[in-house]
Amino acid sequence: MTLLSLVPASGRRAYPPRLSAFTQPFWAGLAQGRWQTTCCDACGRQTFPPRPICPHCWSDQVRWSPLSSRGNLYSWTRIHAAPAVFAPEAPYAVGIVDLDTGIRLACRLLDSADTTWKPGMAVEMAVLLYEDGPLFAARPLPIPSE
Amino acid sequence: MSRRVALVGASAIPIGRHQTADDESLQVLENEIMTRLVSEAVQDAGVSKEDIQSLVFTLPRPYTRQKYFHTFLVGQLRLACRGSVMEVMGNGMTAALAFDKACDEILLGRAEVALALGINMESAVSAAEHMMSSMRTTGDVDFHTSAGFTPIAWYAMDAMRYMHETGATREQLGAVAVKNRHHASLNPLAQYRKPITLEEVLAQRPIVEPLGLYDVPPRGDGAACLVLASEDVAKSLGRPYVLVRGRGFHHDGSHQINDVPNDMIAFDAAARASRAAYAHAGITPADLDLAELYAPCTIVEVLVTEALGLIPRGHGAHAAAEGETRLGGRIPVSTSGGLTSRGHPAYVTSLYNYVELAGQLRGRAGERQVKGARLGISTGELGNYNAALVHVLEAIA
Repeated sequence: MTLLSLVPASGRRAYPPRLSAFTQPFWAGLAQGRWQTTCCDACGRQTFPPRPICPHCWSDQVRWSPLSSRGNLYSWTRIHAAPAVFAPEAPYAVGIVDLDTGIRLACRLLDSADTTWKPGMAVEMAVLLYEDGPLFAARPLPIPSE
Repeated sequence: MSRRVALVGASAIPIGRHQTADDESLQVLENEIMTRLVSEAVQDAGVSKEDIQSLVFTLPRPYTRQKYFHTFLVGQLRLACRGSVMEVMGNGMTAALAFDKACDEILLGRAEVALALGINMESAVSAAEHMMSSMRTTGDVDFHTSAGFTPIAWYAMDAMRYMHETGATREQLGAVAVKNRHHASLNPLAQYRKPITLEEVLAQRPIVEPLGLYDVPPRGDGAACLVLASEDVAKSLGRPYVLVRGRGFHHDGSHQINDVPNDMIAFDAAARASRAAYAHAGITPADLDLAELYAPCTIVEVLVTEALGLIPRGHGAHAAAEGETRLGGRIPVSTSGGLTSRGHPAYVTSLYNYVELAGQLRGRAGERQVKGARLGISTGELGNYNAALVHVLEAIA
């Protein structure tokens, strides 16, 4: 099992994800720091986001499996022109992360004035814990001092 | 000999702010614009109303009050048809699909003449409000939109990666915006026509880093109508026309991002679709005289010129800054002014690209005419060029 650090975030999520009977364990686990996705028993491949049917071989024999907490930043941007619900948070940084286990994902970046983002840099996944639930995000390694 | 399709007529309104706010006493009505354009395009083509048997519309924006706009307009035109009448939708590829499906109507023998047409009205809706809808179009609405991703954020990440890998500079990307504004200054249909300098591009406020206001597309309204005909009909009209010589499509099987790491700035779908179109046309990229690309941001134009084989990989930004893609350069790109200056009324954007090629390949582009232009290429796309639709067009005098 992979456990991520929980980082408190103020307020509620601007555009919360929907839960389904299938994705509910992902988001409920994430709120506890659990970092996992589906892995197909038929072809052995992990998928992210988690899916009930393996996109590679279309088997429904999938199970929850741990993801790597570390990876490298493939690319990033800082969004200044934001949709109405995200405007209060702008500017904010987002990026694409390649996890050490070979999964690529896109997420929010934990940005700060003294953070310099650069493609290729090492990052660690963390959980942003809002009042209404979690989002996954990445932050630089080594972790900047608080 | 299998059937071939020709582009024989075109019309469009200048891109800009046409949509009226709800509280204005006099409203601009989409159907009034569209019926006039149909009349003009059919006149340009020299075909008659009775020849038209299929109409393929782009889906209007949700802000267009009249629903089922396609069949409503057929009623306005009193146009009985035996081919097909439909609206198509494919995100940014919408207008390229309308053109492609109208071609199909002729290739299938359902029509001798078909229209590809549409209108996109959105400028009276604020960007922040419009993005509430567009943020749901790219990526996974639960796993990506929740983090605040917007459509052009993905292109911005392409730019960061490209600069990291190739050493290309912000200035080189900005040169694309300057070049396209120069082209737009020569195009009466363009939204922004006042020439700009590189210093002005670099001084704009950031939108999605590293891209500033002039690196990204403006929002605007537009409408256009294209008349397509079988080659036999085109020959009978006795005037220059544009032959659809090649076509290629590829979807890379991912939506915005692939969880199996790939080279995201290779724009593989554009590379594959263009190779299919070149093979179909029996040409190589070196044979092309101009390219009219679906490139919402400066970085996208750079990456597409590379994916299409017009510029060697990793040299696109440098080549643009050196003037290779400017009018008079080795391979003029976006002679209309491109999406950043000609404008980007998204669901009809590619219609304007075919309008530009119809002008260039019939020798009617005025001050921005590419001398002796014979072969042109257009692209349409969706996502982060996860899918591409490419057409090669040829001038027939």
